Amino acid sequence: MIKRLSLASRLALLFAACTAVVSLLAGVLFNRASEAHFIELDQQLLETRLGALRSTLQGVDTPQLFSQREAQLRTELDHQPDLTLRISAAGQRWFDGAPGVTLPESPGLHRLQHAGTDYRVYNAPLSAGQPGSAQLSLMLDITHHQHFLQRMQHLIWLTVGLSALATALLGAWAARSGLRPLRRMGEVAAGVSAHSLTQRLPQEQMPAELAELAQAFNAMLGRLDDAFQRLSAFSADIAHELRTPLSNLLTQTQVILTQPRPLEDYREALHSNLEELQWMAQLVNDMLYLAKADHGLLMPRREPLALAEEVDALLEFFALLAEDAQISLMREGTAHITGDRGMLRRALSNLLDNALRFTPTGGEVRVRIEDGVRLTVENTGEGIAPQLLPKLFDRFYRADPARREGSSEHAGLGLAITQSIVRAHGGRIFCESGPGWTRFVVELPQPD
Amino acid sequence: MKLLIVEDQPKTGHYLRQGLAEAGFTTELVADGTSGQHLALTGDYDLLILDVMLPGRDGWQILQAVRSAGLDIPVLFLTARDAVEDRVHGLELGADDYLVKPFAFSELLARVRSLLRRGSSSPQETALQLADLRLDLIRRRVERDGQRIDLTAKEFSLLELLLRRQGEVLPKSLIASQVWDMNFDSDTNIIEVAIRRLRLKVDDNFPNKLIHTVRGMGYVLEERVN
Repeated sequence: MIKRLSLASRLALLFAACTAVVSLLAGVLFNRASEAHFIELDQQLLETRLGALRSTLQGVDTPQLFSQREAQLRTELDHQPDLTLRISAAGQRWFDGAPGVTLPESPGLHRLQHAGTDYRVYNAPLSAGQPGSAQLSLMLDITHHQHFLQRMQHLIWLTVGLSALATALLGAWAARSGLRPLRRMGEVAAGVSAHSLTQRLPQEQMPAELAELAQAFNAMLGRLDDAFQRLSAFSADIAHELRTPLSNLLTQTQVILTQPRPLEDYREALHSNLEELQWMAQLVNDMLYLAKADHGLLMPRREPLALAEEVDALLEFFALLAEDAQISLMREGTAHITGDRGMLRRALSNLLDNALRFTPTGGEVRVRIEDGVRLTVENTGEGIAPQLLPKLFDRFYRADPARREGSSEHAGLGLAITQSIVRAHGGRIFCESGPGWTRFVVELPQPD
Repeated sequence: MKLLIVEDQPKTGHYLRQGLAEAGFTTELVADGTSGQHLALTGDYDLLILDVMLPGRDGWQILQAVRSAGLDIPVLFLTARDAVEDRVHGLELGADDYLVKPFAFSELLARVRSLLRRGSSSPQETALQLADLRLDLIRRRVERDGQRIDLTAKEFSLLELLLRRQGEVLPKSLIASQVWDMNFDSDTNIIEVAIRRLRLKVDDNFPNKLIHTVRGMGYVLEERVN
């Protein structure tokens, strides 16, 4: 039930509860303080009255002496309508202003209720310090004080109730208006679809608490937009890449079948078809590999590897190509990592292959391994324009636009595959370039 | 050598059968898992080629039945799905090898031959020979027509592979894997360069050429009489 309540109602109820508790606490404290104050006032008043009575009855220690002073006492009491007096000594009552009322015996201040009236009772000996002295009991009518306290209590309850109600209402209003940015966020989120990924939340107008959320939300939209753009571009690219070999296959097969030909022509056509088909098979396999990586299914084995050994094996593999192009291959440094030998060899072979392809005759390709773990593949040759660097790892991206699409060479997935493998190992890859050099940097985590 | 192919796609099955038959194998083809399992258990085959997705019983179930019947026939899986769990599952059940579609026929042929060879351990050879080409495994020397040929270590390994599997078309991927231990599809032309260099030393000075290119498939070492 509580979970279903809206945020605004929840806040309003919490505000109301807080106000009620605070005002109740304040009321109770004030009530206590007033009560204590009244007791003090009553005591002072009773002390004064006691003093007066004592001076009136000075020296009286027998009922006979008392009867002589009784008239004077009565006159005095007539001036004090809120005071009732009883004087008793040795079980005898010399004077009783309130017959039939049972009074507390012990000396000091007491409270008493009798016939709907509240009294403060004060017991004290007539002559202080004399044993066997007559006992004075003063009863002060404090009904007006009690009335005041009761009114106070009513007022407190009323305040608690009203302030709780008021804060609930005000709180609901405040929460609703405070949560308006959240509603706006919800509206934007509801409006997001594959076609409107460009909409963003106005971050500057958001309150501080929501700015972070808005930023995260916008970043998520950005990533979605980016991924979606890539995905649609990828599908378009796949179709585009497959179109050339498919149309070659179709045309060639149809042309060859239009009329009888010598056997050699058929063989030639089939060979040509085979080449196109192999290229397509390679493309499909590469795309499946990337799809696997995208789904997080690329799970590298974790075996200890000496990077220098792996690089040397690859350099030996590429040595023939390099010699043909008169390019020198070099490796320096070493480091140990944990990773998947097959995958890393594939990743590095793409980098080396790429480097060799863009190195002019007589140039060099240098692999540097540093602890930390960082591996760079640097080649001489024309640099790459800075604005193209981030695009290098895009699928089907070719640095050289003149390269014929559908050629038997790369479909432009090599670097994308390398990036997937490096990422699956928890590393990252990027490219730097300057005049006369290009460097791919692979950073891999330290072995554990 | 008798092979059983269980493959439900008619075209794939037909071409596999034709290709393997032309490579010199006796082959039988069935298109459903139930009869596939029956034949596998009763037919005394040297190798099974199983598709994973089959009507009746799937490839895994056939493999399980074969292994629990105590048969130690090598099994090669063909699969359209390259999922990791599939691979792990297959290896746990005792598959010997697998190929992911699309694959090259030359690759399949090479794997089939490797699997069939695995069982029969040939006696320790000291030399390999074809026509007048002789490779001494102990002294690591190569001679042709009595003339010494100097090869680098990798060239020696390459020639050894070609000689050991003479008459077989070896795809580039298999050569890269066996000689350089590079087990991925690389579309570089390194193998072409390597073969060209080997030819320069082994074939160029002799009228009788032994290393041949089979276009689109790979390379083969054999004596061709014209």
